[in-house]
Amino acid sequence: MSEPIIEMVHVSKTYPSQISVLSDITMEISSGEFAFVAGPSGSGKSTLLRILYGAEKPTSGEVVVDGMQITQPGFKKIHQLRRKMGIVSQDFKLLRDRTVNENVAFALEVTGHTRRGAKSKASDMLRRIGLEEREEDPILSLSAGEQQRVAIARALVNSSSLILADEPTGNLDAKTTLEVMGIFSDLNHQGTTILFATQFTGLIKRFPFRVIQILNGQILNGKKGVVNEVREVKAGE
Amino acid sequence: MTFFLQYVMRRAFQNMTGNLFSNLITVGIIAVSMLIFSTFTLLAFNLTHFLKIWEDKIEVIAYLKRGTPASEVEPLLSKTRLVEGVEIVRYVSPYDAMTFMETKLGGQKNLLQGIQPALLPPSFEIQLKKDYRNSAKINDVVSHLREMAQFEEIQYGQEWVETFSALVHILRLTQWILGGLLLVGVVFITSNTLQLTISSRREEIEVMHWVGAGPGFVRVPFYVEGLIQGLLGGGLAILFLFLLYQGFFLHIPPSMQAWLAKGPVLFLPAETIAWILLGGMVLGFFGSFVASMRVLRYK
Repeated sequence: MSEPIIEMVHVSKTYPSQISVLSDITMEISSGEFAFVAGPSGSGKSTLLRILYGAEKPTSGEVVVDGMQITQPGFKKIHQLRRKMGIVSQDFKLLRDRTVNENVAFALEVTGHTRRGAKSKASDMLRRIGLEEREEDPILSLSAGEQQRVAIARALVNSSSLILADEPTGNLDAKTTLEVMGIFSDLNHQGTTILFATQFTGLIKRFPFRVIQILNGQILNGKKGVVNEVREVKAGE
Repeated sequence: MTFFLQYVMRRAFQNMTGNLFSNLITVGIIAVSMLIFSTFTLLAFNLTHFLKIWEDKIEVIAYLKRGTPASEVEPLLSKTRLVEGVEIVRYVSPYDAMTFMETKLGGQKNLLQGIQPALLPPSFEIQLKKDYRNSAKINDVVSHLREMAQFEEIQYGQEWVETFSALVHILRLTQWILGGLLLVGVVFITSNTLQLTISSRREEIEVMHWVGAGPGFVRVPFYVEGLIQGLLGGGLAILFLFLLYQGFFLHIPPSMQAWLAKGPVLFLPAETIAWILLGGMVLGFFGSFVASMRVLRYK
């Protein structure tokens, strides 16, 4: 069994308005694993991911990501944490006034790479993702599926070994969803750990990966009312 | 390091050109604020300069009591020379005084006909050492002279010195109070403009945060933007002030020009200009720092 890359122990998140978003979450993700975080809209999937990339602090509990104890009081190395991971979202978050290559290279430039080095590395990554012919095109000239592939390339270009994907196929049609899932699946086969939040059960059934079901901020054991356990669901189950 | 500086400068200029209008407004407001402050600085500088010239020329005249025997003059001269702060003492006899008055009256010296020189009091013209030519130290010297019984009256233009000193003091006080208010205003304006800039680049900043750009990469371009705005604002203020200064000389009547020639109106020295430019940069930086504290947190 591989070393855990993500560990969450008794993690809860309650907003000042007393709304409980996550409640006593305990789970581990091993290095090289692909796991779906599944649950309906508002179940707490995005909050869970936001805690993992340091955008939110849990109210209680411990979180360790790639060896960094991010819940430690006074933890300030969020930028270092994020260099260890790639984040992909439903709305791509691409820079609309730039080309495909510039969007990917941007992630390198702002982390200390030279312009030339960033451009060259971005080209390599775009080739890997099958977009080498579009690299000088304006980003808005790409289809939604292609844009999501650019976002994935950007998430990976810093040699990230972990991808946190929050509903990355939410804006895509069925065919493009399968294409994008194919890319994630390939990346996982190459060793990248992927935590993939989605509300689409059809997708989960189609791909035989571990499933962490979440409802009302609690991890379910598949059966309603049974909490705090990680349930692994195989495709078709 | 070179790469980082290149990146920072490129980003700062991209930010500025991308939000040209709001940047021009900010630079303009900083320039106006700094111009007001610099104008007061220039006025205070020149008044201080005038005061200095005037103080350099200041001397004390001690009138001797009428009928003071000539034998007492020499010992009194020696005693006066020993007073701390006194540099040169010159005895002016009643005859010297009469000659001086005749010279001053020129063509109207016949007004003095029938007046006996003996009616005029003899006096000592006392020049002070350089360090003693200011209102506080003159008072010390005068109080020592007053202890000498042979002097009837001592004149040194005390009221002028004190009024002028008070005027300079008030001007300096106004300059700093106004400077303080303008400082708060400039910081507020710069921070708000930069918030607009930051808002317009929100998506880019969000991506930077996502991909793990260090705080330096995210914030420093905005700090540099604030510094540039402050420098440009300060520079424009100095330029406008110089044009106003030149315009002042072009539009003053010739009679006043002749008077001004005695004590020339100066422009700010290079050191003060450097301080004003630096002040503008510090204000701009502080404004951007406040803005970045408010809106550039990791999300």
